[in-house]
Amino acid sequence: MKIRSIIRKDLKTLLSDKKALIIILLMPIILMVILGFALKGIFIESWEGSKVNIAIVKQYVAESDLKGFNDALQNSLLAQGMGADTASELSDASDEVDPENILFNEFLGSTEVSDIIVYRIESEKNAKELLNRGEISAIVVLPEKYLYNMKINLLTPFRNEVEIKVLTNPDATMDGQIVNAIMQAYSDSMSSAIIGKNVLIEAAMANNMGNDSFKGMEAVMTGIMAALEAVRVEVDDVALEGRKPIMSSDYYAAAMLAMFILFAAGQGGRMLLEEKESFTWQRMMVAGTSKLGILAGKFLVIFIIALLQILIMTIFSQLVLKVEWGDFSSIAGIGIAAAFAVAGLGTVLAAVTYRMGNFKIANIFETGIIQIMALLGGSFVPIDILPNAFQKLSVLSLNGIALKAYQKTMMGYGLEAVVGYIAVLAGIGAAFTLLAVIILMRKEGTDHVKHYQAARIKA
Amino acid sequence: MLKVENLQKNFGNIMAVDGISFEVRKGEVFGLLGPNGAGKSTTISVLSTLLPPSDGVVLFEGKNIFEEPKAIQSKLGVVPQDIALYPTLSGYENLSFWGNLYGLTGRELKKRIEEVCEIIGLSERIKDRVDKYSGGMKRRLNIGAALLHMPELLIMDEPTVGIDPQSRNHILDTVLELNRQGMTIIYTSHYMEEVEYLCSRICIMDQGKIIAAGSKDELVEMISGKTEIALLLESMDQEIVKTVGSIKGIDSMVHQENQILIRCENADMILADIIASITASGNHLRSVDVKKPNLEAVFLHLTGKALRD
Repeated sequence: MKIRSIIRKDLKTLLSDKKALIIILLMPIILMVILGFALKGIFIESWEGSKVNIAIVKQYVAESDLKGFNDALQNSLLAQGMGADTASELSDASDEVDPENILFNEFLGSTEVSDIIVYRIESEKNAKELLNRGEISAIVVLPEKYLYNMKINLLTPFRNEVEIKVLTNPDATMDGQIVNAIMQAYSDSMSSAIIGKNVLIEAAMANNMGNDSFKGMEAVMTGIMAALEAVRVEVDDVALEGRKPIMSSDYYAAAMLAMFILFAAGQGGRMLLEEKESFTWQRMMVAGTSKLGILAGKFLVIFIIALLQILIMTIFSQLVLKVEWGDFSSIAGIGIAAAFAVAGLGTVLAAVTYRMGNFKIANIFETGIIQIMALLGGSFVPIDILPNAFQKLSVLSLNGIALKAYQKTMMGYGLEAVVGYIAVLAGIGAAFTLLAVIILMRKEGTDHVKHYQAARIKA
Repeated sequence: MLKVENLQKNFGNIMAVDGISFEVRKGEVFGLLGPNGAGKSTTISVLSTLLPPSDGVVLFEGKNIFEEPKAIQSKLGVVPQDIALYPTLSGYENLSFWGNLYGLTGRELKKRIEEVCEIIGLSERIKDRVDKYSGGMKRRLNIGAALLHMPELLIMDEPTVGIDPQSRNHILDTVLELNRQGMTIIYTSHYMEEVEYLCSRICIMDQGKIIAAGSKDELVEMISGKTEIALLLESMDQEIVKTVGSIKGIDSMVHQENQILIRCENADMILADIIASITASGNHLRSVDVKKPNLEAVFLHLTGKALRD
């Protein structure tokens, strides 16, 4: 009964505080919208983190492709009236116009790209295993007849479609986007007129086509350019093992939610000392309310506020930003566990603040610690792009744990995949609550009385 | 009803309450009078189970309140000196909360809130937020919050500090009315007039000790026959102090700035001599005030200092 009254009174008090409401409810919603849209496409430009590991899978057989290309030169091009000598020279020149060399050495081996991506050649099976284990962030699949088709596209007027696939690990959304963007850049650069022209001229000159050869240059070049246009990197959004990748709006919805529930702890951290300073604490004690009862009331108030925040932010992001949070039981479990952990943290803050007799700790928490936890937990930018040392520290952030759990549900994972995170959050909440009880129940020193006396003299 | 025996409370080396003993009888208004820092609020904190004593026993209806705090808590109402309310909630919400803490709910709570609002005279403004109240209204609500559960013993710690005379009078009348209804009240104040007006028995505290106790008449009897004459002069010099001090019949005399305070057995006998000696010295008398003995005089007599020092 007393605890229920304390909860009701604290909720009324908090809901009448416009400033607190803005911080707790309005700010996260605004930031959720702004960050979700604003950072949609700038991840790569701002990327300065560690290198992205990828695997390249060759589905083609080089010897067979080269043999096929030579056969095609002999048959198709001859059929178009190209002389046997010219065809033979084109065949010889194909060594210099090597699509593998262009991709592996000139593109992936370039300083700019190699600073970002480290690749290895793997079999398809190995590559998928590495991706599943999180050892690589993406797989680039060069399709069957890749060499054959590329040589045809680069050296002949014919156009064969080449489809390069990029498989990304949804757990490493940021890295996946980086690989996709870089492979898209490869496609774009291959498509450019300058490269196409250079390739054409090199091929023509290497084959001593001479003036006669250039008679059909315009038509051949147009064909090559069209062919290069066909070299497209297909951004394969089909998730690994049926998982869905996370969009920026999804990410920041969860990130802001996980960060701003920490402010509920900050608000709660002030509650005991505020009661003490307004002498309502003493009045509650005189009315026979125990310290534990008061603490339990504060714990539940913070828990309810955090749950309310989670509920509002989840519904808003789902309805307005079209964020798909995933399995209901999982997000409910994460929400309850996260609110529990925040309530535990808030009561520890409240107990320490009460004991210290000033709001320094609560202020430091709100102005400093929440920001650090937000950074480490990935609420500002995904932790994938932070240095490894920072990534390891992310386990210390309560919001980081909640964010990881929400990312899982957003990807389509079920309760079994997030139960570990839920357990960790619940454990944190329980440990913090126990600590708060120990701190508050310690024998009251004279500080409390000195404070009381000081306040009286001031009055 | 309440018996305090050798109560001590120290904070480190500071002895805030130094072995006091007194008894509060059922149905009386018991006054604790003393200057700021006398130990009144610490005593109140111990009586209301907020602080454990360093030594001594407090019995409420025969039960030790530190062994059985529930025995007193449910029957005790405490009006703290500070406004212990939630300013962003309405008066009604505040009363409702404090009523809940004392186990009142539903119709019973609503009825009691209405009754208390009548007692404290806040019925019309009870739905307003407390931070919109005047100081006097907050004080009255502060009292109301302690009345909801109809306590048998009400402790009021300086309930009139910092308010206007009208609100003060309302509070004093409320105290008398509550007492008439049968409530036992412990009233602490450093305002001598309030304690004189309200209390049937009084303890005077100073520096953690009870320096005098009894009814107002009993206390005044301690300095019976002692009349105080306050003289305000145009100017002050050692000559006039010496001249006045030599007049026979003066028990004690103190002077400060342009004022001389004289205590004597019979003012009528020596007043003429005093005035004559001042006039003869060439000094001018601005005013003469002959005061009958009161608690202020008692305190002055016992401690050598004024209550408000």
